[in-house]
Amino acid sequence: MLEFKNISKQFSTVKVLHDISFSIDKGKLIALMGENGAGKSTLMKILCGVYPDFQGEVILKNNQVQFKNPRDAEHAGIAMIHQELNLIPDLSIAENIFLGKEPINSMGVIDSKTMLSKSDEILKEFDFPYSSRIKIKNIPVGWQQMVEIAKALQINAEIIVMDEPTSALSESEINILFEKINLLKEMGKTIIYISHRMKEIFTLADEVVVLRDGRFVGQELIDNVTNEKLIQMMIGHEIQDNSVEITKKYDKEILHIDNLNVIANNKSLLSDINFTLKKGEILGVAGLLGAGRTELLKYLFGELKGEAKGNVKYITNDYRPKSASDSIRMGIMYLSEDRKREGNFHDLSLVFNSSISILDRLSKFGFVNNQTEKKEVIQRFEKLNVKKSSILQKMNTLSGGNQQKVLLSRVLSTEPVLLMLDEPTRGIDVGAKEEIYNLINELSSAGMTIIVTSSEIPELMQVCHRVLVLSQGKQTALLKVEDTNPQEILHYAFMQE
Amino acid sequence: MKKKILLFIAQNEWIKPAFGFLGLFILSITFSPISNKGTLIFLKLDNLTNILRQVSEIGIISVGMTLVILTSGIDLSVGSVLALSATMTAFGIMDWQLGFFFTILLALFTGVVAGFISGAITSWGKIQAFIATLSMMVAARGFALFIAGNNSRNIGFGNGAAPESFRIFTNTYLGIPFPVYIFIIITIIFAIMLNKMRLGRYFFAIGSNEEAAQLAGLRVKWIRTSAYVFSGLLAALAGIIHSAQLYQGNPNDGVGFELDAIAAVVIGGTSLSGGKGTLVGTFFGVLIIGILSNILGLHGVQKDFQLMIKGAIIVAAVLLQEQNFFKKGF
Repeated sequence: MLEFKNISKQFSTVKVLHDISFSIDKGKLIALMGENGAGKSTLMKILCGVYPDFQGEVILKNNQVQFKNPRDAEHAGIAMIHQELNLIPDLSIAENIFLGKEPINSMGVIDSKTMLSKSDEILKEFDFPYSSRIKIKNIPVGWQQMVEIAKALQINAEIIVMDEPTSALSESEINILFEKINLLKEMGKTIIYISHRMKEIFTLADEVVVLRDGRFVGQELIDNVTNEKLIQMMIGHEIQDNSVEITKKYDKEILHIDNLNVIANNKSLLSDINFTLKKGEILGVAGLLGAGRTELLKYLFGELKGEAKGNVKYITNDYRPKSASDSIRMGIMYLSEDRKREGNFHDLSLVFNSSISILDRLSKFGFVNNQTEKKEVIQRFEKLNVKKSSILQKMNTLSGGNQQKVLLSRVLSTEPVLLMLDEPTRGIDVGAKEEIYNLINELSSAGMTIIVTSSEIPELMQVCHRVLVLSQGKQTALLKVEDTNPQEILHYAFMQE
Repeated sequence: MKKKILLFIAQNEWIKPAFGFLGLFILSITFSPISNKGTLIFLKLDNLTNILRQVSEIGIISVGMTLVILTSGIDLSVGSVLALSATMTAFGIMDWQLGFFFTILLALFTGVVAGFISGAITSWGKIQAFIATLSMMVAARGFALFIAGNNSRNIGFGNGAAPESFRIFTNTYLGIPFPVYIFIIITIIFAIMLNKMRLGRYFFAIGSNEEAAQLAGLRVKWIRTSAYVFSGLLAALAGIIHSAQLYQGNPNDGVGFELDAIAAVVIGGTSLSGGKGTLVGTFFGVLIIGILSNILGLHGVQKDFQLMIKGAIIVAAVLLQEQNFFKKGF
């Protein structure tokens, strides 16, 4: 069906793909795996015509193809579903499905009737619970993902590439997605599936292809590999099991929250929040998508607009979060879950990105001391193991995992007392995840208090001391990790009034 | 080696406008009209200093405009603020008898206030910069007309009029008019600020990603406002020079200056979406516009054709900027 032959790709001086060759049969689901920066996305972008110049051959149904742009690739029956959804929120489902390919009637006007009926047809196959007239912004993210798949079906794609389709979905939405993926397989579609989540790979995939540092490592039937084997293939060596060692006990109270309620625009964002955090403690915040995890952290950081009731005590004083700059000065720091929108300065250098929060400290009379800055940044990059070719390279030239490390270097540079990490491992490969867990552990041992959120409950249980569960903005449980299990946490996460 | 050169070009955004300037300069020499004595009129020292003098006002304004555009804003009020400041200068020195120092202080202060209001409306009022500064453009012009009573005010010298020290703006030192020095010094000062100082970095950060800047602990609202304050201050400075050169404060002057300044900034390679640009680029952008007007003027090309050609040049310059070597990584 599809064959890659000696694919290499170079960005100016940096070679990112080396001689990659493998082939894929029709109707199979191939999991494409590898750490961040292994070259998965680059390879897929070559397949989909985003990068038209490369060395080697792509052979589709015995013909060599070289797509000039994504449109070309779509005509040949290849569709890509990106990690970040490419839907237009203010258009209807039907308009999104037909975006750029709208049927036109004899008057040269968009034929909405055909568009709607054809969309409904596609949606029906999917048991879609929404009419195709509804605007995208009014349906949940999980179903937005299905609209992307519907788009692929509309162009009669035979090969569908999915780049981490579950990264923004909740457990129940993932289950629905999997049903639909199986449906696609029954239709005979070939699917290339990129994901970091082992569980998904083992549920869905027929075969798995592993890349490492831009090289092909292996192609295996899923039945012939184990979890450990895959990880080993991806990172090139085995990783040690490192669950949390119970850290030194500190007694000093850092944060005390008493009956916190936050209301904005007559909508309750947070309610009944009660907890106390001691120095060096790691608190996990669990909850479904939209349960208020981000809202809680942003409130504490002073970046959630709303009316708050209740008491918050930080160290010894009453604390009313006002703004990010105030909070940072008091030793509270926040890392956003949304790198792209709330973290990166894409076009600017790594040094710029890393040191922006501590320029006050690095400046004298308003002038930045470049020497000290460079020294400090390099030190932090080394500690965090940022893979880069130069500290002056631009942020958008790094892989997701390395961007995350640069942002971590930014939040750590402020030397916070209380560090809040919002989904720090989202869209990040196994190796980098391990590094971030280890880092959290290390920081906590050194006495930093940390609040971390994640959609993956096992992840939270691995790294935290206690887990706070939210459901619809309300605190439903506060559990010690050693006394609970994922089922119980999930139970509280689903708890409704 | 070739790679290194390309990389250098890709990393230094001012190089393209610099080449554009060089190219235009050479073209202008080639096509320069020749005087009776057989010399190239374009290259005559008189002509070259004349170009510099003519661009110095737009140049000073463009420096402020660059700061604002870097924060992904825009300042449409600069032309009106220039007129207001020029009017203030004329009235300060003639009617109100404030003397040299306080007149200038008053004019600059007017610009600062105008800039602060624009910035505050944009930051705290959350009104788009285009609208906020459009309002300031209208209002500042109105205020200038109000002060001047709809007439221009001439500046004379002598007893009960402007002091001799006011001639500093029209004097020439070492063959170069004083406003040119101001333009160059202002460019250097703000280039240093952008590259070496904290505040300069903050401008880039806000323009590149405002949300991220906020969460990184920057006081986005104050920083953005300061960019407008600088823009107002520099427009006022240009207004003082303007009135001194014309020996009058005319509330109707400076119309369309904001567009020339925006054009210079854009030709200089600064992105209108913010976060990307240099003052050196703006400097060359200003010179490109100046030389273009000059050479066309020397050939007796009428204003109508000059404007059409200018429009084409702006588009061409931006198209060239867009061709980005090493678009993805390097």
